[in-house]
Amino acid sequence: MRTRVRVAAGLPRHPGTDGTARQEHAAPAAAPTPKPPAPGITRRQRFRRDRTLLLMTVPAVVLLLIFNYVPLLGNVVAFQEYDVYGAGITGSPFVGFENFQRLFEDYRFWEVIGNTLSITFTQLILFFPIPIALALLLNSVFNDRVRAWVQGIVYLPHFFSWVLVITVFQQMFGGAGLIAQHLRQHGVDGFDLMTNPGLFKFLVTWQAVWKDAGWGVIVFLAALSAVNPDLYEAAAVDGANRWRRMWHITLPALRPVIALLLVLRVGDSLNAGFEQILLQRDAVGPGASEILDTYVWWTGIKTGDFGYAAAAGIFKGVFSVLLVLLANRAAHLLGEQGVYSKK
Amino acid sequence: MPNSQAPAPAEPATPSRRTFLTGAIAVAAITAGGPLFTACSSSKSTSNKGSVATGDALKKVLPAYVPSTLVAPDVPGVNGSSPGFTKLPDPLVVSVKAKPGKGSTFKAMTPIWGTVPKKDNAYYKAVDEALGATVEFDPLDGTTYQEKIGAVLASSGIPDLVTIPGWNMQGQIRNAIENRFADLGPYLSGDAVKKYPNLAAIPTGAWQMAVFGGKLRGLPNSGGVLGNAIFYRKDLVDAAGVALPKTADEIVSFGKSVTDAKNKRWAFDDLWTCIQKLYGVLPDAPHYWQLKDGKLVHKIETQEYREALAFARKLHDQKLVHPDADAGKDGDAKIRFTSGQTVMYQDGTGGWYGMVSEQSKQNPKFDMQALDYFAADGGTPLLWQDDQAGIFSFLNKNLPKEKIEELLAIADYAAAPFGSKEFQLVNYGVEGTHYHLKDGAPAFTDQGVQEAQPATLYFLAAPPPSIAHPDQPQMVKDYAGWMARQAPHLKKPMFYGMQVVEPTRYASLYTGFDDLQKDIRRGRKPVSAVEDAVSTWKKSGGEQLRAFYQDILDKNGSGA
Repeated sequence: MRTRVRVAAGLPRHPGTDGTARQEHAAPAAAPTPKPPAPGITRRQRFRRDRTLLLMTVPAVVLLLIFNYVPLLGNVVAFQEYDVYGAGITGSPFVGFENFQRLFEDYRFWEVIGNTLSITFTQLILFFPIPIALALLLNSVFNDRVRAWVQGIVYLPHFFSWVLVITVFQQMFGGAGLIAQHLRQHGVDGFDLMTNPGLFKFLVTWQAVWKDAGWGVIVFLAALSAVNPDLYEAAAVDGANRWRRMWHITLPALRPVIALLLVLRVGDSLNAGFEQILLQRDAVGPGASEILDTYVWWTGIKTGDFGYAAAAGIFKGVFSVLLVLLANRAAHLLGEQGVYSKK
Repeated sequence: MPNSQAPAPAEPATPSRRTFLTGAIAVAAITAGGPLFTACSSSKSTSNKGSVATGDALKKVLPAYVPSTLVAPDVPGVNGSSPGFTKLPDPLVVSVKAKPGKGSTFKAMTPIWGTVPKKDNAYYKAVDEALGATVEFDPLDGTTYQEKIGAVLASSGIPDLVTIPGWNMQGQIRNAIENRFADLGPYLSGDAVKKYPNLAAIPTGAWQMAVFGGKLRGLPNSGGVLGNAIFYRKDLVDAAGVALPKTADEIVSFGKSVTDAKNKRWAFDDLWTCIQKLYGVLPDAPHYWQLKDGKLVHKIETQEYREALAFARKLHDQKLVHPDADAGKDGDAKIRFTSGQTVMYQDGTGGWYGMVSEQSKQNPKFDMQALDYFAADGGTPLLWQDDQAGIFSFLNKNLPKEKIEELLAIADYAAAPFGSKEFQLVNYGVEGTHYHLKDGAPAFTDQGVQEAQPATLYFLAAPPPSIAHPDQPQMVKDYAGWMARQAPHLKKPMFYGMQVVEPTRYASLYTGFDDLQKDIRRGRKPVSAVEDAVSTWKKSGGEQLRAFYQDILDKNGSGA
């Protein structure tokens, strides 16, 4: 929400055409206000002053503790020869970093990391720009009814479950699917997108686009709706054509949102879509489809090696945090606020 | 209590009781007629070191056998094949006199192959009414059941009753069974079982398979000697005018002549389980060993395994396998077969009746037959005999004594034999609602096909194997005949009748081969990839596992 406020508040005051310069001005106006405690007010007084607000956060904090922090303690099994069905956490012996050692020595693990990153970056490059493009396109449609209609259609697949999406893809692009059968009628045999390991990362990206691109549009449309129409009028009066208006007004307005989502996406890179990929694991084999999440599932739930799986899970967590920090730093360097900032 | 060593059933499990170490020590003690378990605290590791129960100790935990004489079969069993019943006795006999339940509610998790019936349906209601208790069934897709069991057993929310097929006991599942489920010995061992006459009619060999880590933990669903078959659509094969294959090469030529991809028809679905039988490949744990030149050899080390893989690969390369089967969509195999998209598919023989009775209404021409097994070269097949029990149901160990007794009484009801009122309700539902009697045989109504025909209560406990479907007399003859023809080729594997719990550390060694065989069969890896996998297997514990089994063999002899 903050970014949206910033765009709205920042733009009218600085109708310059240079995005970067304006951004520098905009940042202070939008920065949150964690002011240092006013001199003379003690911690106790502040507590009394804010107690209603603090009270209101209690339920959220409790939920966070119970569902996010307490389960973290379970990570201890990564350092145990954990016997999930017998001795349990209290009875299993500690083995130090043995699970991590096994993990890093396992060639499958590096194959899994490779797959995870390759699928993520394929998605980042091919999927990420699509909602933005779609938002720009929808934004340029002036007929409200047409726009609502198109929006409805592109949102809809988001509400399908992955099982359904993959079944639809199988029926369309599988070896016995609609297209394969049509091609066979015309003498072309062997079309099967669903079992081709080499194309798998593009296939999952495509599925993700079909399912979620429409949903991803919402955030960008919200940011666009906050742009002051006067800017376009003023630019048009000054002789800016459609492209220049997009380049100098629309895109700069979206920049903070894009940066924010990009940082979040990079931090999320090791989540390449658990359910979607698990459902297609057998179709292309683990060599192309095993990602960190499915690997954790496979070694933990399927083969019962929970200590090892937990070690892989911890590796993922630590690596993801590092990625978020890096991406956030990169956003700062580019003059964006990113997910959070120290000031 | 017949077995003085068995602990009181309601005793809560303390950590010390869970840290039993069995394995070699226990096996030694057992053969010496000593105590069943040797609690050992000298090792620092607490994880399971593996176990198997045999000999006198095993005899002590097994229930007595009192066969049922309620109804005599029309087609007697041959060489251990299942007897067949083609007509219902009139009137039906009564097997269980009083309502077994005491008004409790139980949650049950069972597998299902087919469509899940609606909750709160008329069948469940009638069954609950007859039982005097409520059994809330949660049937889950049988083709992906293994993944679910692993997660459910690792959690704290285990249902009161869980059904687990033996083939799903890969990896650590057997360890979980030892730790999560009640010891039924105090209720059933020896003469105690006579309190439940229908459970007492379950053959001893089936009970033997329900002994995990030296204790009777499961209710065995005793099965036939051969559980899987390649089924073919006789109506389609006859229409195509093709002869049935009798060698591996003929399977390929058969496949080429019936595959018509343009019209969406392929010869085969995924036949891997049965292809292995054509090549005499050993079954899965613990039967994946064979003695060759005095040494235990694992199935993955045999030439047959490689030949079977190469053959399966050939079917893929020649494009004779349905693409959706190659995409791993096992759950739809039945639909592909009934809709004629595949001509041959493999299934448990237990699925035969369900499919025939379902299709008899929708497609009168539908004719499904099981292919007689042959060796790949056309000779006599070597068929590894199935264990006497393939599916088990287990009771949550946290259930109090009264609830376990109540649930066992309900199981006794579910295990009532063919020809009894109880069997009729369990398998056919309510007359008038789920079936009508036609010429003395029950015929399902549409509602019956949806609610009563899918097996639910059946998984709780079942009578000894019989082929008893008076509504499908032809199918009974086909099935009993097929099984009697296969029976002479059966051979018992090395560790037949033993429920071996492998040491935790090695229990997961074999699971990687499940991925590997799919990669090879579906053209993603060459057959030679087996060699690498086998050497990894040896390095990461395969040799120790071999020694573990060798030890069992030395001390107990073969089960074959």
